[in-house]
Amino acid sequence: MNVSNDRAEAQVPELILFITGNAPRSRRARRNLDEALESLGLDSVEPLEIDLMEHPEHTVTYSVFATPALLRTDSSGDVQVMYGDLSEERKLADFLDDLRRIQ
Amino acid sequence: MNDTNWKLEKRSTGIPGLDRMTCGGLPKHQTTLILGQAGAGKTVLTLQILAHAVAEGGGGVFVTFEESPAQVRRNADSFSWGKALNQSDSWFTIDARLPVGAESAGTFDIDGLLAAIQAKVDQLDHPWVVIDGIDQLLQHQPDRAFAVDQVRQINEHCEKSGWTLLLSGKAEGDSVSPRHLEGIEYMLPTTLVLTAAMIDRRLHRHLRVAKYRGSAHVPDQVPLLIDDDGIQLPYHAVATDERVKAGSDRVSTGIVRLDKLLDGGPYRGSSTLISGRPGTAKSTLSAGFAEAAAARDERALYVSFDEMQAPYVRNLASVGIELQPHIDAGRIRFCAPSAQSGLIIEHLLMLQRQIEEFDPHLLIIDPISALIKAAGGESPRIAVERILALAHSRGITTILTSLTGVGDPEGESTSADVSTVADTWIVLDYNERAGERNRSLSIVKSRGSAHSNQQRELLLSSDGIDLADVYEYGTEVLMGTARVQKEIEENVANRRRNLGHEQRREALERRIEQARSEAERLATELELEDRSFDEVRRTDRDYIDRIKSRRDPANREIDGGSDE
Repeated sequence: MNVSNDRAEAQVPELILFITGNAPRSRRARRNLDEALESLGLDSVEPLEIDLMEHPEHTVTYSVFATPALLRTDSSGDVQVMYGDLSEERKLADFLDDLRRIQ
Repeated sequence: MNDTNWKLEKRSTGIPGLDRMTCGGLPKHQTTLILGQAGAGKTVLTLQILAHAVAEGGGGVFVTFEESPAQVRRNADSFSWGKALNQSDSWFTIDARLPVGAESAGTFDIDGLLAAIQAKVDQLDHPWVVIDGIDQLLQHQPDRAFAVDQVRQINEHCEKSGWTLLLSGKAEGDSVSPRHLEGIEYMLPTTLVLTAAMIDRRLHRHLRVAKYRGSAHVPDQVPLLIDDDGIQLPYHAVATDERVKAGSDRVSTGIVRLDKLLDGGPYRGSSTLISGRPGTAKSTLSAGFAEAAAARDERALYVSFDEMQAPYVRNLASVGIELQPHIDAGRIRFCAPSAQSGLIIEHLLMLQRQIEEFDPHLLIIDPISALIKAAGGESPRIAVERILALAHSRGITTILTSLTGVGDPEGESTSADVSTVADTWIVLDYNERAGERNRSLSIVKSRGSAHSNQQRELLLSSDGIDLADVYEYGTEVLMGTARVQKEIEENVANRRRNLGHEQRREALERRIEQARSEAERLATELELEDRSFDEVRRTDRDYIDRIKSRRDPANREIDGGSDE
């Protein structure tokens, strides 16, 4: 997986979910994100998943030190991050809302 | 770490005061929590420890949650050890600053952080790890108890991975710990608490070892200074607890008569307090000590809070004390800091450095009361004790002067109990009598020496300092003109007495002479008397014999017959 190339090629806003192995919170975050995308009608969005246990170097590259973390890059290049297992639906929906408008 | 390797090992921090307070340094392969307000010196402390580790051939990683790596390096660069640290490639920085607007939706893990650090330190043996500002990350944890738990998780990880970790967090308000991490100060095996407070518009920093499980440590809150060399803990920076053999060697005061009063002078390595009102020649007397030391080819450090070198040396020359040649030859070092410009511990640090650098035999602090007046939240007594202990441990003889007021012999030094601590206490004063002031000197105490308790007159002339012998008059000690006057009167009376005696003696001798010639005359008279008396007796006997013979009948015929 070449993350930086993927990012460069994709001109659309992008979601990256950072996880650490099979940690319970990481699994919960993955499930919560999938459900939220579906309910918001964003099925087409394919979040990129990076396991920091496998690639600890990406911790520094993306400056993500807490997991799970959801990283959203706007078309303007602005990066927003949301930490946690994404169990707070409202917050997650707000975070993804911009994504829906652009789509 | 397995069960067989449970013993507490310590690693030096390279900060002498901290190593001494922790009896050897911080725990190896454990976490030391460093808590403190903004500006208390947390980052500098961690950088300085890392710089020491790097200088000793070690290495590590610095994870920064607040400043950019460039800021961290610039911060280090402003200290004497920073250049070497920044040039070394045996440590790394990790920029862990959170993006602006970061938020959380649910609890999160910190395994990513630990994995990132591990990736950096994999090649290093016993790495040092600094996590600066962990509260920046954990404040986003919605569950506070969970956040506190994660600090414990970090500690466990570092024990398992062989890291020696410095974990810093920002305290807020009066609390020791970050607001959302309350209680963490009791959770980790070792906790250092730094504080910064403005007192009298000056920044006062302190450090305290709040906890050190399994190790003896100094639990006091001690003043902390940050200067070009980084963090200093002057109260614990130098060893002063070495037992010093009490010497019997005496040090001359430079005044023969004062030496005599002190049984030969103060002991080497002892402390002498000279107290007195303004103008009682405290500095002059101190300078006499310095000159005497220099004349013995010893080094004297003169710390003057009152005067600058040039006028001081000039004034002393007028009373016959020539310091300049000794200053030029490096035997006397004059140091004139401004008392007001620093905190007590800044002065203490300066004194420690001067003592270590110059290694003097004699230390003069003129006046110690200036040091006591310097700003500082802590008791000046500790500072004075530290200086005396340091001097004593190095065998340095100390002279402290102290300004006093009228009827207050101990004066400003009382607040620091200098007079109690000092081995010898000399009080200088004026003696006012018959319209003049004369300087007096008396020895209030001198441990281990027989000494006179009487006042002496202190004389300053172009030939130097001297003491005039006391002139006792009844219960008084006379000085100056009164002394001279009294001496003259006494001399006259003496002369008068002597003269009378001579006269009486001469008269008596004359009478003895007269009596002697009278006796001779009488003896002659007696002889004449005796002689004439004998003559008379013989004449009388002849007459009687003649009468007897004439009346004898037998002789009558003959007498009649012849004319016989």
